[in-house]
This record gives sequence, structure tokens and C-alpha cells, in this order.
Amino acid sequence: MNMVEKILARKSGQKSVAPGDVVVTDIDLMVMHDLSANFVMKVFDNEMEGASIADPAKLVFAFDHNFAPATREAAEALAAVRRFAARHGIRNLFDSGCGSIHHVIMEAGLVTPGMIVIGCDSHTPIYGALGAFATGVGNNSMAALGFAHGKGWFKVPETIQIHFHGTPMKGVGPRDISQFLVGHLGEDGAIYEALEYAGPYIQSLDVNDRSLFPLQAIDVGGKCGFVNPDEKTVRYVRELLGNSAAAARLELFQNDADARYAHIIDIDVSRIEPQVACPPTVGNVKPIDAAVGTPIDVAEAGGSTGGRLSDIRTLARCLTNRRVHPGVRLQVVAASRGIYLAALKEGLFEILHTAGANIFPPSAGSNQAFNMGALAEDEVMISTQARNFPGRNGHPKARHFLASALTVAASALTGRITDPRTLEDL
Amino acid sequence: MQDRIQGRIYKFGDNVNSDIIIAGRYLIYIDPAQLAQHAFEMLGEAFPARLRNFDILVAGRNFGCGSAREQASTAIKGLGIKAVVAASFARTFYRNAINDALPIVECPALYDAVAEGDEISIDLAKGVVSHAGQQYGFPGIPASVAKILELGGLANYLKSTLEAGKP
Amino acid sequence: MSQTIAEKILAAKSGEARVTPGQIVDAYPDLVMSHTATWRSVSVMKKIGANTLYDRDRLAIVLDHISPAKTEKYAADQQTSRNFAREYGIEKFYDVDAGIAHLVLMEHGHVKPGDLIVGTDSHCTIYGALGALGSGIGYTEVASVWVTGKLWMKVPTTIRLTLEGGFAPGVSAKDLMLHLIGRLGADGCGYKSVEFYGPALRAMSISERMTMANLAMEMGAKCVFIPPDEKTLEWLLPRLKDAASYKPVSADRDARYEQSIGIDLSSLTPMVACPHQVENTKPVTEVLGTRIDQAFLGSCANGKYEDLAIAAAILKGRRIDPRVRLIVTPGSKEIMLEAMRSGVLATLMESGALVTNPGCGACAGDGGMMADGEVSLSTANRNFIGRMGSNKSSIYLSSPATLAASVLQGVIADPRELYRGASQ
Repeated sequence: MNMVEKILARKSGQKSVAPGDVVVTDIDLMVMHDLSANFVMKVFDNEMEGASIADPAKLVFAFDHNFAPATREAAEALAAVRRFAARHGIRNLFDSGCGSIHHVIMEAGLVTPGMIVIGCDSHTPIYGALGAFATGVGNNSMAALGFAHGKGWFKVPETIQIHFHGTPMKGVGPRDISQFLVGHLGEDGAIYEALEYAGPYIQSLDVNDRSLFPLQAIDVGGKCGFVNPDEKTVRYVRELLGNSAAAARLELFQNDADARYAHIIDIDVSRIEPQVACPPTVGNVKPIDAAVGTPIDVAEAGGSTGGRLSDIRTLARCLTNRRVHPGVRLQVVAASRGIYLAALKEGLFEILHTAGANIFPPSAGSNQAFNMGALAEDEVMISTQARNFPGRNGHPKARHFLASALTVAASALTGRITDPRTLEDL
Repeated sequence: MQDRIQGRIYKFGDNVNSDIIIAGRYLIYIDPAQLAQHAFEMLGEAFPARLRNFDILVAGRNFGCGSAREQASTAIKGLGIKAVVAASFARTFYRNAINDALPIVECPALYDAVAEGDEISIDLAKGVVSHAGQQYGFPGIPASVAKILELGGLANYLKSTLEAGKP
Repeated sequence: MSQTIAEKILAAKSGEARVTPGQIVDAYPDLVMSHTATWRSVSVMKKIGANTLYDRDRLAIVLDHISPAKTEKYAADQQTSRNFAREYGIEKFYDVDAGIAHLVLMEHGHVKPGDLIVGTDSHCTIYGALGALGSGIGYTEVASVWVTGKLWMKVPTTIRLTLEGGFAPGVSAKDLMLHLIGRLGADGCGYKSVEFYGPALRAMSISERMTMANLAMEMGAKCVFIPPDEKTLEWLLPRLKDAASYKPVSADRDARYEQSIGIDLSSLTPMVACPHQVENTKPVTEVLGTRIDQAFLGSCANGKYEDLAIAAAILKGRRIDPRVRLIVTPGSKEIMLEAMRSGVLATLMESGALVTNPGCGACAGDGGMMADGEVSLSTANRNFIGRMGSNKSSIYLSSPATLAASVLQGVIADPRELYRGASQ
């Protein structure tokens, strides 16, 4: 069995499982941001009268789309979730300004290898980088099975393995590789499947960069994504857990040597150029040449896909002693409070601020334009965000390109979508 | 512009501020009809509709205080209100009302005499408000300023000045 | 002879030798500012068919109230403002990242003593902190000034306020103004100019003077002056393009005042303005223990570096009460940079605050909206019903020190407790 199968077997009390089996398992963690918490809460309150939450300690709410509610309705929605949490003893509530949900949860040490994590956010598979089985579920399942019984049912997925090897060229990073894969497989390229990201290239990455891959599992229709846990995974998790009991109990579920795959794809990363997902969808991934020269109005490094410390460091490196192009508004959104403070202390924010960037509170940033990120009809944004669908960021005709932090930095300097390989001293 | 304005009054107290008249979230509108839908909404959702049953607002001191938002007078006009009579106006509301061609009357003496629903009549030329057989005088707007009102507001006034200036 | 500051400035800007209160003049402002409302003035220009400006160098545009856009409409309106600035070559254009218009314009040396400044914001009175006459007008009138260069103004009478003594620890300029507004009322200075004097004034920082000139609006002042002195010179001179343009205007010795009021600062205590009017002031001691859900440190009244630093000094090494959400919005890029460099920003974040990008922020509802029944403590200048969300929510106004003391406890608290026995 592979990691996913092993976890599903253990949590459903079976010796082994195979693709196609339907299993019922305990759930270790249920994660929701401010929007989904509101929806699930409504299902629970309105359609499940008299039900109680099986184990409130397994629920996590993280308010990330709203860092400071821009409308009364948004404020009411958050207030309602807070009341719900208080009523049901849900203590893991990270309020507005905590960061982007998944980074907040990882930073809080709430996810350990071997866990089953479900969330209403489609990017929940990110925790596969920590050796967990993590997937998105609907509001009804979350409320009816997760909340009420602490359980979930899953059909054991087929797994496809993507074997990455080679060394990327200068100016190309894990985000480009991950986006390339999405373009390569297509938006329906891995429906219901588990994706294992493997190979020497993946092994060379730190957990932070590895997480960019399962994060995009949904973009190819995948059920979940993961990286076979190794020493790096352990070290990463131990650092977050400190000397807690959880750290002592760490158990890795690793692929068996004879684990089987529906198919294996081989990718030579050394041939991949900087990528960009062009409007109108995440799957419309092209080599950057296709978009180079497009004038931009807004550039953003933020969200679960680009507000990491490594991304902010990248931006600062590119913008040291330089100025953001006068026609561009560069927005920087740290993915967690820890990252924000680290960026402050490292002097990164000072560099970016002096260069002309605007520093925002830890949050999901422009994702779905709750507190920021609405564009006018003729505006263009390039960002590290996860989605670029029409209407998601203001006017349906506004154009939103998705790329790596490095590409965003390069573009912010020139005022146009720019191939980072053309930047001097990268 | 009419010289005589009459109708039923709605009575407000002192310090009716800009945010009560039209909340900040509606400043994305400048159209009187859209603004009127939210006029005085902070006092209750039924207010905008309710005020349409009246013709003239009568208020106490410092009407329209707070923000310089012009939409306060636009919203009141959008309700179909023909004039505002107050014991005193905040200066920004005063200016904006003139610029918006909303007749305003400073008449402290009227306030205690009236109740909601009463009929009053305003003679702008003579500077007199009539109510229940009594007459109350009010100061005219300075002549140089009054012509803005007469020409239908500042935008119209400007337009005509610009056109006059053209060769 | 015998002219007040307002009289002198209005005379100068209307080409008169002297003016008298009540007189109406056609005055030519040195600066006409507009903020997020700019698009509305642009639409007026289009409507009247005008396409030339009287003097583009007199225009200043700062996109501050909604920063950045969170809906398509706001984004479109901001584009309208940007395009206008570009089309007409408006140099004094500051985008959504700059911060609060009034602070940005003063920081960039666009406000000088003796200037006449009008704009789409009632808190233009703040320019009086630098000895300029600042007064708010509507967007149509701004468009009119854009095109014609002038507007009618009625010469105000002047009230003279003399400050003596000094603030007790924990008491500040905000408390002084709340005290005054409560005492004189929301229209206590209606249509009037206010001039501040007194030995206590000299000790006040530029930041405190800005707070004073800002809050004076809430007692209806048309304009307010804190006559420039060495502190003003020191703050402003490095920011001016042309040092020779620094020409303070002072009142004549025999200037005539409608009223003279004296205030002993030593007798003042921390104050709050209670829902839902600014003049509804009370000493903080009368509202101690009032539960708060949210706190806002920011605005043109108290979003300056000194205000953030006062709060940070109180919050250093401590955590805010978990029941409170503290939003901190630095007033401008310059202020945010200073807070980054000095460690104030880190202190505030570490205490549990949420620090936003610079701008007007929650003061006027750009973020920080409240649900039914919620209570906010704010360092802004208005607490009108529904301003920060639900019309069933409440806003109390206070100084930064009172706010900091309160967020530590989760209820409105007296900051003087923190200063007793401690060196300041």
C-alpha cells in the first residue's frame, strides 16, 4: 500500500485497503475558513436540529478571507461563527488577521503525519505535504458526518505518481513546476485520484515548497496529493510541535516498496520554463512567453500559494534598492502572523515598503476580493493566488494571471508580465 | 425654481448628522433615486419609504452636521423633499444644499410650533414660513449665493457661465 | 489692522485689503484636495462640459477612504480618478497605498502656513495645525474650484482658546478636544474660526496639534489655527520645496474675537465620546468596565506615528484581551515605515493587534465593520450611528492611551492606572 491507503486502512480499522474500496474512518481534523465555517454552521443549525458536535477539539476555524469585515453582512457572518464556536466549545478559532488558513493551521502544529484532515476549502489537500491524507468535502458531509460523528467516508482512490527529476533552470521554482503539471495533466487529468509527488526533485525541496504541489491537486480534479514522508517531514513537524506529547507520538505512514500506481508520469524539470496560468482558468497554464509584455496594474504575493516567508524573501531580494514600477500597485500579504513578524524582523518589509510595496495584514489577501483585490474592467493583476476565474476579483472582464513570487516580483519592477530569467542578478 | 413651497412636514431633532442622512457605504452613488432608497436608513429600514409621505423636513439645530458629503442633500432631494427648515444648518450641508438646488430655510422659531404631519407653507421670496395661521420670518440667502439656487444648482450655474464665456 | 488669522487669509486670497466677519468674498484656494470622492467631481466636470483646469498645480488627489478596492464599483471609480490625474497631469496624485489624504499632503509639504485649502473632506480643518485655513466642501463645489479657481466664502468670526498648565500623565490632546466638544457642543463653533494660544501650546508636538485641529471640526468649526512656531518650522521646513514659501500668518495684536475661553490642561482627565454623537462626552471613569468587541487605532485624528507609539509603549510585552479585536491602521506610508524601523509595528503585532495597510481604514467603514450588538472603541473622530457597520452597534471614541489600556482588559479602562508610579 502507499501512504494514503495505509492511513485509510488504519483509520477505518482494517489491515489493508485497495483502490475502489469504500471505507468509513475517524477524522482527526476538520478545517474551515470564515466562509465555509458559516455555510457548514448553517447546515448544522438549520438541518440537524438537536445534533451535537462529537469532538469540538477536532474542529478548526480560521478567518482568512476577511481580515477586517468590509460590510455589515460579513461582520454578521463572522459574529455568527464566533457564537457557534462558543456554544459548542470549539476552541481552535483563529480570528481575523491570523493569516491564510492552511499556513495558520500548519504553523499551529495542528497537523501531523498520518492524520486524516478534511476541509471545505478545496485546497485542503495541502497537508499531504506533511504526510497526512487531506481532502476537501462538501458542507453537508462536514456537518452531518464530520461535526456530528467525527467520521467520514471515502472511496479509496487510485494513485498516480509523478516522478520529478532534474534541476530546474535559473528563474524557475517549485510554483512553476507545479503549475506546469496542472497544464500538462489538464483540469480533468486526475479526477478522483490521489497524486503522489515524488522523485529526486521533490525530495530536494523543503516541506514549504513541497506543499505547493498537493495544494494544486484540486486543479487537476484530484482527491488529494501527497509527498511520501521522510526525514524532512519529521524535522518540519517536530519544529512546529516542540516538546509536546504529539511530537513524541509521531508516526510516519510511508509507501511500501511495492506500492502500485494507476500510472506513473515522468517529468524532467530542467526543461520547464517559468509558467503562468492565464485567464480564465487555473488550467490555462502556458510558458511565460505567452503572456510576456502584458501591462499590469496590480501585482500580489499572498495567499496560501504565495505569502510564505520564502516568497517575501524572494520579493525583497528582487526589490532591494529598486522601485516598483509607478503604474503598478504591489501588494504583499503574509500567510501567517509568524511569517509577518519574521518578515518584519528580517527587514524584508522595510525593503519592500521603501521600494513602493503595500504591506497587508496576514490573510488570504485578494482571494475572492473580500477585503482587497477587486479590479476594474480594464485592469490586470498578476499574483501568486490560487484561482483566477472571471468575476472572482471584481469585474468579470478583469484579467488575473497566476505565477510564482519571482515572476510577480519581476513584473512589478517593469510594469508588465516579465520573464524572471531576464532580470539581472536574480 | 418655485417661490412658494408647501406640504406636510416630518420633524427631526438636533444634530441630525451626515451618517444618519446617508451612510458611507452608499457614497458609491450620486443618483438621487438610488440614494433616496437608503436615506435615513440608519434610523430603521422603513424610514426611506416612510419619508416619501412627507414634503418638507423640519429639524432642530445643526442639521446635516458631520461629513462634507454632498449626497446628504442629494438623498433628501431624491426622496421628493422640497425643502428643509431647520433651527440651524451645519455649514457643509448648507453649501451642499444650495449647490444641489435644495431650498433650505433657517428658522429656529418654527421648530417648537410644529408637529409631524402639519402643513406649512414657505414663501422664499418674502422670507416667511406660514403655519396654523402664524407667520415666521427667516433671513434670505445672500444674493450672490442665491443665484446658484435659482439656476438649479452649482453644476447648472457653472455650465451657464462656461457657455456664456464661449466666444 | 485688527485682523484675525482667518480674516487675513481670506482677504489675501480674495484680493481684498481687509475683510469683516459676515462679508462674502470670492476666494482663490492655494490647494483644492479630493480623495476617494474624486470620481464624483470628475463626473461633474463632464456633465458641465468643462475640460480645462484653472491651475492643475493646485489640485491634490489622494485615494484614501477605500484602500484598496474591494468591489468592482470602487475599482472602477478609482480608475476614473487615476485616469483623470494622468490625463490632466496632476502631479499631486497619491494612490491607494499612500495613506490618509490630510496626513500625506502635510507630509509632502503641500500645506503651508497662510494657505487656503478646501477639499471633499470636513477634516480639512486639520491643516490649521500648520497654520493653514482648511475647510471642507462637497464634490460639485470641488469641481467648480477645479474649473474656476475660486469659491465664495463667508468671513467667520473667531473664538480664541487659551491653553494653560499641562496634561497629567495619561491625558492628551484627544482628551482636551473631547472635553471641549462636550462643553461647547457639536455646533459650539459652527461657522466660526478657532485660534489656539497659550503657554501649554508650545509644549505640544505637531502630532498633537494635528489631533486638535482635526477634532475641532466636531464642534462645527469652519477652520482652526494653531499659530506656527519653532516646532512647526522644524517639522515643515525640510518638507517644503521652497523654504521661502514658509510665511506664517499671525493675528494682529488688536484682532477682535467673538469669545475668549481659557482651559487649564492640568484639570483634564481622560474622556470618551459615547454613542452615537461626538458631543456625548463623559470622563472615562464614568464608563469603566464597558465591554468592547473591537478597537481601532488610526484615522487622521490619531493614526500618526506618535499615537501608535503611545499605544505600543503600553502594549509592549503584553497581549491584548482575547475578547477584543484590535485593528491598527497607520495613517500613511511614512508613518508605517517609521513604525517598522522603531519596532512599534512589531510590538503591536506581537500584542495580538492586526496591523493593516495605511489609509482611512475602519474610521469610515473601510474594514472593521461590526455586527448587531457589537461595541467598538476607536481613536477616530466620529461615532455616528452605523458608521462602522450595524445600526445596532456602538462606537466610543477615545485617545490612543485609553484605547491601549482598554484592549489589555477587554473593557474600557483608565490609562492613568498605567502611568501611576511608572516613569513615562
